[in-house]
Amino acid sequence: MKPRPPAMRTKRRYILVRILPYGITADQKQVYLSVIEAVTSLWGDAATGLAQPAVVFCDGGYAVVRCRRGTEKDIATALATVTAIGDEQAALRTVATSGTIHALRRRIKPIRLLSETGDVKFGENYFTVYRYPRQKVDLVEKGIKHQKSLFFTEADLEER
Amino acid sequence: MKITDASVCPYPAGDSTLARMALEAAELGFDSIVAIGEGERQTSGPEVLRGVVISAASQKDVIRQVRGPAVRRADVVFVNAGDTSFNRAIVSVKEVHVVRNIHTTRRNAFDHVAARSAAEHGVAVDVSMVPIIQYRGTRRQRVLQRYADVLSLQRRYGFPLTISSGACSILGQRSVRDVRGLCALFGMTGAEVSEALGSIGRLIEPERPVRVVR
Repeated sequence: MKPRPPAMRTKRRYILVRILPYGITADQKQVYLSVIEAVTSLWGDAATGLAQPAVVFCDGGYAVVRCRRGTEKDIATALATVTAIGDEQAALRTVATSGTIHALRRRIKPIRLLSETGDVKFGENYFTVYRYPRQKVDLVEKGIKHQKSLFFTEADLEER
Repeated sequence: MKITDASVCPYPAGDSTLARMALEAAELGFDSIVAIGEGERQTSGPEVLRGVVISAASQKDVIRQVRGPAVRRADVVFVNAGDTSFNRAIVSVKEVHVVRNIHTTRRNAFDHVAARSAAEHGVAVDVSMVPIIQYRGTRRQRVLQRYADVLSLQRRYGFPLTISSGACSILGQRSVRDVRGLCALFGMTGAEVSEALGSIGRLIEPERPVRVVR
Protein backbone atom coordinates (compact mmCIF):
# COMPACT_ATOMS: atom_id res chain seq x y z
CA MET A 1 0.00 0.00 0.00
CA LYS A 2 1.35 3.38 -0.93
CA PRO A 3 1.87 5.60 2.13
CA ARG A 4 0.10 8.91 2.37
CA PRO A 5 2.11 12.01 1.40
CA PRO A 6 3.52 13.84 4.46
CA ALA A 7 1.04 16.74 4.17
CA MET A 8 -1.89 14.30 4.38
CA ARG A 9 -0.64 12.41 7.44
CA THR A 10 -2.07 12.95 10.91
CA LYS A 11 0.11 15.30 12.94
CA ARG A 12 1.03 13.86 16.30
CA ARG A 13 2.48 14.95 19.60
CA TYR A 14 4.40 12.84 22.10
CA ILE A 15 4.27 13.37 25.87
CA LEU A 16 7.10 12.08 28.04
CA VAL A 17 5.95 11.05 31.53
CA ARG A 18 7.87 9.79 34.52
CA ILE A 19 6.26 6.93 36.42
CA LEU A 20 6.22 7.15 40.20
CA PRO A 21 7.15 5.43 42.49
CA TYR A 22 10.59 4.72 41.04
CA GLY A 23 10.73 0.99 41.66
CA ILE A 24 7.40 0.12 40.02
CA THR A 25 7.49 -2.54 37.32
CA ALA A 26 5.05 -1.03 34.86
CA ASP A 27 4.00 -3.08 31.86
CA GLN A 28 3.28 -1.02 28.70
CA LYS A 29 -0.21 -2.50 28.38
CA GLN A 30 -1.06 -1.72 31.99
CA VAL A 31 0.13 1.86 31.54
CA TYR A 32 -1.99 2.12 28.38
CA LEU A 33 -5.08 0.83 30.20
CA SER A 34 -4.56 3.33 33.04
CA VAL A 35 -4.10 6.20 30.57
CA ILE A 36 -7.17 5.25 28.54
CA GLU A 37 -9.29 4.90 31.69
CA ALA A 38 -8.19 8.33 32.93
CA VAL A 39 -8.68 10.06 29.56
CA THR A 40 -12.07 8.45 28.91
CA SER A 41 -13.42 9.23 32.35
CA LEU A 42 -12.31 12.86 32.11
CA TRP A 43 -13.06 13.77 28.49
CA GLY A 44 -15.52 11.10 27.36
CA ASP A 45 -15.49 8.61 24.50
CA ALA A 46 -15.85 11.13 21.67
CA ALA A 47 -12.92 13.34 22.69
CA THR A 48 -10.77 10.29 23.48
CA GLY A 49 -11.48 8.83 20.07
CA LEU A 50 -10.42 12.06 18.38
CA ALA A 51 -7.29 12.42 20.52
CA GLN A 52 -6.15 8.85 19.75
CA PRO A 53 -4.00 8.39 22.88
CA ALA A 54 -1.55 5.50 22.88
CA VAL A 55 1.51 4.44 24.84
CA VAL A 56 4.39 3.95 22.41
CA PHE A 57 7.25 3.43 24.85
CA CYS A 58 7.52 2.31 28.45
CA ASP A 59 10.86 1.53 30.04
CA GLY A 60 13.19 2.62 32.82
CA GLY A 61 10.54 4.48 34.79
CA TYR A 62 9.45 6.58 31.81
CA ALA A 63 6.63 6.29 29.28
CA VAL A 64 5.84 8.14 26.06
CA VAL A 65 2.17 8.82 25.31
CA ARG A 66 1.20 9.63 21.72
CA CYS A 67 -1.81 11.79 20.82
CA ARG A 68 -3.06 13.98 17.97
CA ARG A 69 -1.62 17.46 17.68
CA GLY A 70 -3.81 19.99 19.48
CA THR A 71 -5.01 17.57 22.14
CA GLU A 72 -1.74 17.30 24.09
CA LYS A 73 -2.85 19.72 26.83
CA ASP A 74 -6.07 17.78 27.41
CA ILE A 75 -4.19 14.49 27.50
CA ALA A 76 -1.58 15.92 29.91
CA THR A 77 -4.41 17.04 32.21
CA ALA A 78 -5.94 13.58 32.07
CA LEU A 79 -2.54 12.01 32.82
CA ALA A 80 -2.54 13.97 36.09
CA THR A 81 -5.63 12.01 37.15
CA VAL A 82 -3.92 8.60 36.86
CA THR A 83 -3.73 7.15 40.38
CA ALA A 84 -2.90 3.48 39.75
CA ILE A 85 -1.18 1.22 37.24
CA GLY A 86 -2.55 -2.29 37.46
CA ASP A 87 -3.09 -2.96 41.16
CA GLU A 88 -0.34 -0.64 42.34
CA GLN A 89 -0.68 2.97 43.38
CA ALA A 90 1.18 5.20 40.95
CA ALA A 91 1.37 8.66 39.45
CA LEU A 92 2.43 10.00 36.06
CA ARG A 93 4.47 13.21 36.01
CA THR A 94 4.58 15.04 32.68
CA VAL A 95 8.19 15.89 31.81
CA ALA A 96 7.99 17.27 28.25
CA THR A 97 5.91 17.38 25.08
CA SER A 98 7.42 17.14 21.61
CA GLY A 99 6.70 16.37 17.99
CA THR A 100 9.25 13.55 17.85
CA ILE A 101 10.13 10.62 20.10
CA HIS A 102 13.80 11.29 19.34
CA ALA A 103 13.62 14.70 21.07
CA LEU A 104 11.95 13.14 24.11
CA ARG A 105 14.59 10.42 24.43
CA ARG A 106 17.16 13.16 25.00
CA ARG A 107 15.10 14.34 28.00
CA ILE A 108 15.12 10.93 29.68
CA LYS A 109 17.44 10.90 32.67
CA PRO A 110 17.92 7.33 33.85
CA ILE A 111 16.68 6.80 37.40
CA ARG A 112 19.48 4.86 39.02
CA LEU A 113 19.11 2.96 42.23
CA LEU A 114 22.04 3.93 44.46
CA SER A 115 21.89 0.92 46.72
CA GLU A 116 19.60 -1.64 48.25
CA THR A 117 20.81 -1.75 51.81
CA GLY A 118 19.05 -4.34 53.86
CA ASP A 119 15.88 -4.11 55.82
CA VAL A 120 14.36 -1.92 58.49
CA LYS A 121 11.53 -2.66 60.88
CA PHE A 122 8.66 -0.25 61.46
CA GLY A 123 6.16 -1.44 64.01
CA GLU A 124 5.35 -5.04 63.13
CA ASN A 125 6.45 -4.85 59.49
CA TYR A 126 9.78 -5.29 57.73
CA PHE A 127 10.65 -2.99 54.83
CA THR A 128 13.31 -3.18 52.12
CA VAL A 129 15.26 0.05 51.71
CA TYR A 130 15.89 1.51 48.23
CA ARG A 131 18.06 4.60 48.00
CA TYR A 132 17.81 7.09 45.13
CA PRO A 133 19.65 10.34 44.28
CA ARG A 134 18.85 13.55 46.19
CA GLN A 135 18.67 11.67 49.52
CA LYS A 136 15.42 9.93 48.60
CA VAL A 137 14.69 6.64 50.31
CA ASP A 138 11.79 4.36 49.38
CA LEU A 139 10.76 1.64 51.80
CA VAL A 140 8.80 -1.27 50.38
CA GLU A 141 7.10 -3.68 52.74
CA LYS A 142 8.29 -7.25 52.49
CA GLY A 143 5.63 -9.56 51.17
CA ILE A 144 4.12 -11.09 48.08
CA LYS A 145 1.17 -8.85 47.26
CA HIS A 146 -0.19 -5.36 48.09
CA GLN A 147 2.97 -4.26 49.85
CA LYS A 148 2.84 -0.91 51.55
CA SER A 149 5.36 1.72 50.46
CA LEU A 150 6.79 4.55 52.55
CA PHE A 151 8.63 7.55 51.11
CA PHE A 152 11.35 8.95 53.33
CA THR A 153 14.58 10.89 53.06
CA GLU A 154 17.99 9.83 54.33
CA ALA A 155 17.65 12.17 57.33
CA ASP A 156 14.22 10.75 58.23
CA LEU A 157 15.60 7.23 58.18
CA GLU A 158 18.53 8.17 60.41
CA GLU A 159 16.20 9.78 62.94
CA ARG A 160 14.18 6.57 63.40
CA MET B 1 4.68 35.95 45.58
CA LYS B 2 5.30 32.43 46.84
CA ILE B 3 3.59 29.55 45.09
CA THR B 4 2.15 27.44 47.87
CA ASP B 5 0.49 24.06 48.07
CA ALA B 6 -2.18 24.86 50.66
CA SER B 7 -2.30 21.48 52.35
CA VAL B 8 -0.39 18.21 52.47
CA CYS B 9 -0.75 15.51 55.12
CA PRO B 10 2.68 13.98 55.84
CA TYR B 11 3.63 10.83 57.75
CA PRO B 12 2.17 9.42 60.03
CA ALA B 13 -1.19 10.53 58.54
CA GLY B 14 0.16 9.67 55.09
CA ASP B 15 2.93 7.46 53.76
CA SER B 16 5.50 10.17 52.96
CA THR B 17 7.51 12.20 55.42
CA LEU B 18 7.38 15.98 55.49
CA ALA B 19 10.97 16.29 54.25
CA ARG B 20 10.25 14.03 51.27
CA MET B 21 7.05 15.90 50.41
CA ALA B 22 8.92 19.21 50.62
CA LEU B 23 11.59 17.80 48.30
CA GLU B 24 8.94 16.68 45.80
CA ALA B 25 7.08 20.01 46.08
CA ALA B 26 10.27 21.88 45.18
CA GLU B 27 10.74 19.64 42.13
CA LEU B 28 7.12 20.27 41.11
CA GLY B 29 7.54 24.05 41.17
CA PHE B 30 6.26 25.07 44.61
CA ASP B 31 8.04 27.56 46.88
CA SER B 32 6.27 26.51 50.07
CA ILE B 33 3.82 23.95 51.45
CA VAL B 34 1.39 23.90 54.34
CA ALA B 35 1.73 20.71 56.38
CA ILE B 36 -1.36 19.67 58.29
CA GLY B 37 -0.58 18.37 61.75
CA GLU B 38 2.51 18.61 63.90
CA GLY B 39 5.17 19.24 61.30
CA GLU B 40 8.72 20.29 62.01
CA ARG B 41 10.17 23.29 60.27
CA GLN B 42 12.66 22.61 57.50
CA THR B 43 16.01 24.29 57.49
CA SER B 44 16.57 23.87 53.75
CA GLY B 45 14.38 23.50 50.68
CA PRO B 46 10.94 25.05 50.34
CA GLU B 47 9.34 26.82 53.28
CA VAL B 48 7.07 24.60 55.36
CA LEU B 49 4.15 26.26 57.11
CA ARG B 50 2.25 24.61 59.90
CA GLY B 51 -1.47 24.15 59.31
CA VAL B 52 -4.23 22.95 61.58
CA VAL B 53 -7.71 21.74 60.67
CA ILE B 54 -10.70 22.41 62.88
CA SER B 55 -13.75 20.20 62.56
CA ALA B 56 -16.64 21.58 64.55
CA ALA B 57 -20.41 21.58 64.56
CA SER B 58 -20.98 25.15 65.71
CA GLN B 59 -19.32 28.56 65.69
CA LYS B 60 -18.98 28.36 69.48
CA ASP B 61 -17.00 25.17 69.12
CA VAL B 62 -14.74 26.78 66.49
CA ILE B 63 -14.05 29.79 68.77
CA ARG B 64 -13.24 27.41 71.66
CA GLN B 65 -10.86 25.40 69.47
CA VAL B 66 -9.00 28.39 67.96
CA ARG B 67 -7.97 29.41 71.48
CA GLY B 68 -6.22 26.08 72.01
CA PRO B 69 -2.39 26.02 72.11
CA ALA B 70 -2.03 23.82 69.00
CA VAL B 71 -4.08 26.21 66.89
CA ARG B 72 -2.23 29.26 68.22
CA ARG B 73 1.10 27.76 67.12
CA ALA B 74 -0.22 27.14 63.60
CA ASP B 75 0.52 29.48 60.70
CA VAL B 76 -2.66 28.64 58.79
CA VAL B 77 -6.00 27.71 60.39
CA PHE B 78 -8.42 25.66 58.27
CA VAL B 79 -12.04 24.94 59.17
CA ASN B 80 -14.06 22.18 57.53
CA ALA B 81 -17.16 23.66 55.90
CA GLY B 82 -20.60 22.73 57.14
CA ASP B 83 -24.15 23.88 56.51
CA THR B 84 -25.18 27.37 55.39
CA SER B 85 -25.49 28.98 58.81
CA PHE B 86 -22.21 27.45 60.00
CA ASN B 87 -20.32 28.70 56.94
CA ARG B 88 -21.77 32.19 57.29
CA ALA B 89 -20.69 32.24 60.93
CA ILE B 90 -17.13 30.89 60.58
CA VAL B 91 -16.05 33.28 57.83
CA SER B 92 -16.39 36.11 60.37
CA VAL B 93 -14.12 34.45 62.97
CA LYS B 94 -10.89 36.47 63.04
CA GLU B 95 -8.50 33.54 63.62
CA VAL B 96 -9.83 31.43 60.72
CA HIS B 97 -7.82 31.69 57.50
CA VAL B 98 -9.34 29.11 55.14
CA VAL B 99 -12.64 27.24 54.76
CA ARG B 100 -11.95 23.81 53.30
CA ASN B 101 -13.83 20.71 52.08
CA ILE B 102 -16.43 22.89 50.41
CA HIS B 103 -17.11 20.07 47.91
CA THR B 104 -18.43 17.79 50.68
CA THR B 105 -21.19 20.18 51.71
CA ARG B 106 -24.67 20.54 50.27
CA ARG B 107 -25.31 22.77 47.27
CA ASN B 108 -25.70 26.45 48.30
CA ALA B 109 -24.00 25.74 51.65
CA PHE B 110 -21.52 28.45 50.69
CA ASP B 111 -23.82 31.16 49.38
CA HIS B 112 -23.54 34.82 48.40
CA VAL B 113 -23.91 35.99 52.03
CA ALA B 114 -20.99 33.83 53.15
CA ALA B 115 -19.02 34.92 50.05
CA ARG B 116 -19.50 38.61 50.82
CA SER B 117 -18.58 38.07 54.46
CA ALA B 118 -15.48 36.04 53.46
CA ALA B 119 -14.36 38.87 51.17
CA GLU B 120 -14.83 41.44 53.97
CA HIS B 121 -12.90 39.39 56.53
CA GLY B 122 -10.24 38.09 54.11
CA VAL B 123 -11.11 34.42 54.63
CA ALA B 124 -10.20 32.09 51.76
CA VAL B 125 -12.00 29.09 50.33
CA ASP B 126 -9.87 26.06 49.54
CA VAL B 127 -10.05 24.22 46.24
CA SER B 128 -8.76 20.70 46.76
CA MET B 129 -7.33 18.69 43.89
CA VAL B 130 -8.07 15.35 45.60
CA PRO B 131 -11.66 14.92 44.36
CA ILE B 132 -10.73 15.96 40.82
CA ILE B 133 -7.85 13.48 40.70
CA GLN B 134 -9.36 10.55 42.56
CA TYR B 135 -13.11 10.67 41.91
CA ARG B 136 -14.67 9.36 38.73
CA GLY B 137 -18.06 9.79 37.05
CA THR B 138 -20.93 11.67 38.68
CA ARG B 139 -19.02 12.32 41.90
CA ARG B 140 -16.34 14.25 40.01
CA GLN B 141 -18.98 16.04 37.92
CA ARG B 142 -20.66 17.25 41.10
CA VAL B 143 -17.34 18.47 42.51
CA LEU B 144 -16.58 20.37 39.28
CA GLN B 145 -20.04 21.99 39.47
CA ARG B 146 -19.41 23.06 43.06
CA TYR B 147 -16.01 24.52 42.22
CA ALA B 148 -17.47 26.37 39.22
CA ASP B 149 -20.12 27.79 41.56
CA VAL B 150 -17.49 28.89 44.10
CA LEU B 151 -15.47 30.44 41.26
CA SER B 152 -18.46 32.48 40.06
CA LEU B 153 -18.97 33.78 43.62
CA GLN B 154 -15.25 34.57 43.87
CA ARG B 155 -15.38 36.59 40.65
CA ARG B 156 -18.38 38.54 41.97
CA TYR B 157 -17.26 39.18 45.57
CA GLY B 158 -13.48 38.83 45.39
CA PHE B 159 -12.70 36.59 48.38
CA PRO B 160 -9.36 34.75 48.17
CA LEU B 161 -9.07 31.18 46.91
CA THR B 162 -6.37 28.69 47.84
CA ILE B 163 -5.42 25.56 45.91
CA SER B 164 -4.28 22.44 47.73
CA SER B 165 -3.18 19.02 46.57
CA GLY B 166 -4.42 17.49 49.84
CA ALA B 167 -1.81 14.82 49.25
CA CYS B 168 -1.10 12.14 51.86
CA SER B 169 1.66 10.74 49.65
CA ILE B 170 4.17 12.02 47.12
CA LEU B 171 2.03 10.15 44.58
CA GLY B 172 -0.80 12.61 45.27
CA GLN B 173 1.25 15.74 44.69
CA ARG B 174 0.89 17.45 41.32
CA SER B 175 2.99 20.02 39.49
CA VAL B 176 1.97 23.64 39.06
CA ARG B 177 1.38 22.93 35.36
CA ASP B 178 -0.91 20.01 36.20
CA VAL B 179 -2.79 22.17 38.72
CA ARG B 180 -3.38 24.76 35.99
CA GLY B 181 -4.81 22.06 33.70
CA LEU B 182 -7.02 20.59 36.42
CA CYS B 183 -8.34 24.02 37.46
CA ALA B 184 -9.14 24.81 33.83
CA LEU B 185 -11.69 21.97 34.01
CA PHE B 186 -14.04 24.20 36.00
CA GLY B 187 -13.21 27.40 34.14
CA MET B 188 -10.37 28.90 36.16
CA THR B 189 -7.98 30.98 34.07
CA GLY B 190 -4.19 30.86 34.36
CA ALA B 191 -4.08 34.26 36.08
CA GLU B 192 -6.68 33.15 38.63
CA VAL B 193 -4.71 29.97 39.35
CA SER B 194 -1.51 31.99 39.87
CA GLU B 195 -3.31 34.32 42.26
CA ALA B 196 -4.86 31.41 44.17
CA LEU B 197 -1.49 29.65 44.50
CA GLY B 198 0.00 32.82 45.97
CA SER B 199 -2.83 33.68 48.34
CA ILE B 200 -1.54 31.74 51.39
CA GLY B 201 1.29 34.27 51.73
CA ARG B 202 -1.18 37.13 51.62
CA LEU B 203 -3.42 35.42 54.21
CA ILE B 204 -0.71 34.97 56.81
CA GLU B 205 0.85 38.37 56.13
CA PRO B 206 -1.99 40.61 54.97
CA GLU B 207 -1.21 43.97 53.39
CA ARG B 208 -1.81 46.66 55.99
CA PRO B 209 -1.28 50.40 55.92
CA VAL B 210 2.19 51.55 56.91
CA ARG B 211 2.44 52.07 60.69
CA VAL B 212 4.81 54.66 62.13
CA VAL B 213 6.78 53.26 65.08
CA ARG B 214 8.39 55.88 67.36
